[in-house]
Amino acid sequence: MMADQLPFEGLKVVDISWVVVGPTTVKYLADHGATVVRVEAAAPLDILRTVGPFKDGTPGPDRTQFFGEFNTSKLGLSVDMKVPAGLEIAKRLIAWADVYVESFTPGTVDGLGIGYETARQLNPSIIMASTCLMGQTGPAAPFSGYGFHAGSLAGFYEITGWPGQAPDGPWTAYTDAVSPRILSATIMAALDHRRRTGQGQYIDASQLEMSLNYLSPQIMDYETNGKTVTRNGNRSQYFAPQGAYLCAGDDQWCTISVETEDQWEALKVAMGNPAWANDERFGSMESRLENHDEIDEHIGGWTKDQIAQELMQSLISQGVPAGVVNRSSDLEKDPQLAHRNYFRPLEHQEMGTVPYAGHQFRIKGYDSGPRFAAPVLGQHNEYVLREILGMTDDEVTEAIIAEALQ
Amino acid sequence: MLSPYTVLDLTGGHGDLASMLLGDMGATVIKVEPPVGAAGRNEPPFIEDAPESESSLPFFAFNRNKQGITLDLELEAGRNVLRGLVEKADFLFESGQPATLDSLGLGFDELKEINPRLVHVAISAYGWDGPHADYLANDLTIAAMGGPMSLQGVPDRAPVRLSVPQVWLHAGAEAATAAMTAHALMVRTGEAQFVDVSAQACMIATMLQGISANAIQGRDYNRGGSLLQLGQATFPVVFDCADGYVVLIPSGPTLAVMVPWFVEDGLVPESWIDGEEWPSYHMRLLQGQPINYSLEEVLGTITNYVAKYTKNELLERGLRDGVTLAPVNDVGDLAKFQHLEERGYWLPAPLPNSKETRMPGLVARMSKTPMSVRRWAPALGEHNQQALQSMLGLDDAEITQATGGSLGRRSE
Repeated sequence: MMADQLPFEGLKVVDISWVVVGPTTVKYLADHGATVVRVEAAAPLDILRTVGPFKDGTPGPDRTQFFGEFNTSKLGLSVDMKVPAGLEIAKRLIAWADVYVESFTPGTVDGLGIGYETARQLNPSIIMASTCLMGQTGPAAPFSGYGFHAGSLAGFYEITGWPGQAPDGPWTAYTDAVSPRILSATIMAALDHRRRTGQGQYIDASQLEMSLNYLSPQIMDYETNGKTVTRNGNRSQYFAPQGAYLCAGDDQWCTISVETEDQWEALKVAMGNPAWANDERFGSMESRLENHDEIDEHIGGWTKDQIAQELMQSLISQGVPAGVVNRSSDLEKDPQLAHRNYFRPLEHQEMGTVPYAGHQFRIKGYDSGPRFAAPVLGQHNEYVLREILGMTDDEVTEAIIAEALQ
Repeated sequence: MLSPYTVLDLTGGHGDLASMLLGDMGATVIKVEPPVGAAGRNEPPFIEDAPESESSLPFFAFNRNKQGITLDLELEAGRNVLRGLVEKADFLFESGQPATLDSLGLGFDELKEINPRLVHVAISAYGWDGPHADYLANDLTIAAMGGPMSLQGVPDRAPVRLSVPQVWLHAGAEAATAAMTAHALMVRTGEAQFVDVSAQACMIATMLQGISANAIQGRDYNRGGSLLQLGQATFPVVFDCADGYVVLIPSGPTLAVMVPWFVEDGLVPESWIDGEEWPSYHMRLLQGQPINYSLEEVLGTITNYVAKYTKNELLERGLRDGVTLAPVNDVGDLAKFQHLEERGYWLPAPLPNSKETRMPGLVARMSKTPMSVRRWAPALGEHNQQALQSMLGLDDAEITQATGGSLGRRSE
């Protein structure tokens, strides 16, 4: 495909966001062709540059794939917006851009002097998106933090783990996993509106509010039926058996899920029709839900010496939904992901060639993926200032003397 | 915002969220169901726990802003009506087993002949083709295959999923972004687009820094309960409080605010306040630089402090002083969270049994093109007559034949 046929080729984006939600939202535009300037400070660093996974286990701000994963196909500019010359550069980028995304605590960009009112004066048709945990207004708007906090407030901790034990919570910051997909669709729709009407606008996207849509049925179940959902291991409230079962080897697990009577019959056949399975205590969905512990013991006894992958394939071929619990090292070998050309090795300035996550959707006939590796801090300072902003040598020198560049 | 566009939603319950988001953004959405109803209508929980076709809460939740029609795609008449709709549509979402529509002569290759500007989005467990394309799958098994389960749960028990189905919501939201991306490409090239959304890949994305852990650092992350694993150090983030749990990250800025609280309560001597450069505490800890108070001491003090207060006391004290102590809320706590009330977030919604409920609201506030809810989830075939008459000019006999015998009812 020709470069000028990337979905967002020619689109200009200034990404003054940090941590996960803002950068991941913008990554969709960047990977699909937009020219994105990711504006960062050297102090404080984006927290993602300070935590791993680090290449070969050696820490360093340019060695972590936590930052890298969500900042592909972007140009890196390191600038101190707290000095006037740095702020001026940010303003010139806002004037240049079609889309401006920020993810600080509400009031921060206004305090810096690059809030929406300023942005709109600089660039009347700009689309500006602000995303933070709680939204720009309301009593908890100043609540700053991470997706751990929003995930806990939203109810996702309550529903992850084992009954009767403290909540385990989802892996890391769950609302960070939900919000980018929703916000990117919103920005793309705003872009389409602007293409047709010339009109830009301001978007206030609360990560809590976006994520609560993933709990809508349970919230309504509370509102209308008075039921409060809580964590329940891997069990369903509605069908059984369902669980993750230990297999042969070191901490290898296969999940099995029986949603229908047909699948229960198929599981019985797969297990070789053991006598216990025909006990009337397991004869209906209700009774299986009631006697789930006992069924789990039987199934666990049957799976414990089997190879997880082989067990999964055998169950699926016999009509029982199953899936092994994959780790990152397993995903590297997953044949389906290989078929989708999922992992994309890209050359990073400091880390060398490293794999980047691919896209969750494929567009037929278009080999989409991250186009180039994430920037090291300040990697494209010169390019952005000279080529994008058209700054002269003198202007660049002045910015350096003013300590605007980092 | 998307009001010029028409969306056909043929998803059976896996991916309703995709067209709902486009509908919230202004698109006209037609949900196309088989005469017996979409599988999503059987999805629990139900209104008053009664499993009837109009009482599925997930169906009600994720099908707002859609008109509902039935089509019998086993019949040529039904297929012809779908072809007619495709001609007028901009987007089509489906989530059947791969190749189900193809086998009916309604695959992308046929549909793009009818509408050369169509964006056709297929949502499936593992992708539209490839070695696992036909694998039987559901919420639990995809959460396992996608990887996040390997990171969730305590080490001495099995890995866990979230106890509420999430997989098809991730895939549905992703499909909205996928559709808008492909639409941008269609505008540029003038050609119809086929998009293949993998729910497994969507779940991989939820691993965040865990996605490529092994390739980068030479080892996987492993489940560690609620421990936050940051390089050399691990921090607990869930603490017992007087009436439940709170989540807090014992970072430098958090400690800078909390240490004076500890002193005030007499848990530590006043010398703690100046005894450490608190804002940089966690950075020095992570980088192996000197610290004056051990992480154990600090965590022990947090534990003792938090245990004395309720989650709301901690939330409010944190808000007052600028630190983040998040209650582990259940759905009941959430309903009482004043912030959402004051933002006008909740949508009051009339259930099909005429009772009022409320549901989570619109995903973003747009200054020029506000999102809105114009209708609630349709009854089965509710708009058969209305939609097919106005869009395709069909008469009652044609509608009855194509829809499996129902004219539906006119809604006001």
